[in-house]
Amino acid sequence: MVNKVNEIKRIVQDTKSLPTLPGIVLKISKLAEDDKSSVNEIARLISSDHILSAKVLKLVNSPFYGFSGRVSTISNALILLGVNVIRSLALSSSIFEIMEKSVVGLWEHSFGAAVAANTIAKILQLPDAEEISTAALLHDIGKAIIKIKLEEDYNQLISIIKEKDISMIDAEHEFLGTGHPEIGEWIARTWFLPEKLIEPIACHHNVKKSVIHKTKTAAVHLADILVKASGFGFSGDDIVPRIQTEAWDKLDLNEKILEEIVQETEDRLIEAKNFSLEIQTSGEKQS
Amino acid sequence: MQKIPLALAFEGMILAQEIKNPDNPEGPPLCGKGVVLSSSLIERLNKIGVQSITVEGHPVKIEGEKTLDEELSSLDYRFRKVKDDPSMKILREIYRVQIIKAKN
Repeated sequence: MVNKVNEIKRIVQDTKSLPTLPGIVLKISKLAEDDKSSVNEIARLISSDHILSAKVLKLVNSPFYGFSGRVSTISNALILLGVNVIRSLALSSSIFEIMEKSVVGLWEHSFGAAVAANTIAKILQLPDAEEISTAALLHDIGKAIIKIKLEEDYNQLISIIKEKDISMIDAEHEFLGTGHPEIGEWIARTWFLPEKLIEPIACHHNVKKSVIHKTKTAAVHLADILVKASGFGFSGDDIVPRIQTEAWDKLDLNEKILEEIVQETEDRLIEAKNFSLEIQTSGEKQS
Repeated sequence: MQKIPLALAFEGMILAQEIKNPDNPEGPPLCGKGVVLSSSLIERLNKIGVQSITVEGHPVKIEGEKTLDEELSSLDYRFRKVKDDPSMKILREIYRVQIIKAKN
């Protein structure tokens, strides 16, 4: 088990780039070429993809650009890096080929969580709404690493989940000796992402563990649960976890607010589904 | 009426609700209620960034679309590990009402 954990740590350190959906890269490229497109349009498109968001944030927070640990939104990253850097980043990533349709479920789950987190932040009037959505988009980045870099282990995890009717995180601890929040945290640290994104990634299954950014962590925790409750996307299991008391209290939830959040999220998830279909179709057209 | 992703819209559908401008939701609507969709209109809406529209009737049978009973039992299944938790009972009830509303 210790060997497994060390193997994962080594993989994380070696991970120079992660796959993304091809359709989105095509779209960014088109937008970047169009003089009429705005930074906001491009930022909105990039924000919808957790892998690409992660890449952009990794780059802008790298010591090379001198903003280490300070940039946590895509629109700021775009302004600092420039559209051309983003475009070449998108085009040069040669990983499209290894991208399979099987990642779509996880991608939808992450995107859905970002939509839910954004709704939560808006309705509860939380500060830093964009950072909360970004954190939600990246919250399962650890799973993406397992899926992409440890395919056999991932398949094994899925079998354990089905066989024992347990959650992905329980299966990970049982089989890998660690979980996707920890793996996500290692990656986020390797990429010098700001603490306000690291903590929600690292603590979204254990809000109590969060120290400085408890509100953001609680929002991401709730967003993850709502997307699973809604049955949108596929995060590895189909078990809705409990809303932890710390999150309920921190967000000062009650039935009425929760109802408002669910209604608005469900409405926006229809749009998210539309976007997902569109990306998949343009990906097919490209290949 | 049915709310559908724009990707599934086709010519001849009738708008049951006006379409708001995604860049200016408070501003004048892009298209009024009762308008019949044409392919050029769908293309234009797509370019503007409209994600979904509400049309009359229930014209789109979404692939794998479940019946009300199937939806409700899937919901119960997803909540199977937390069915005795008081706050999760509240949440499940909210989703139950949402599902029933969306099907009618």
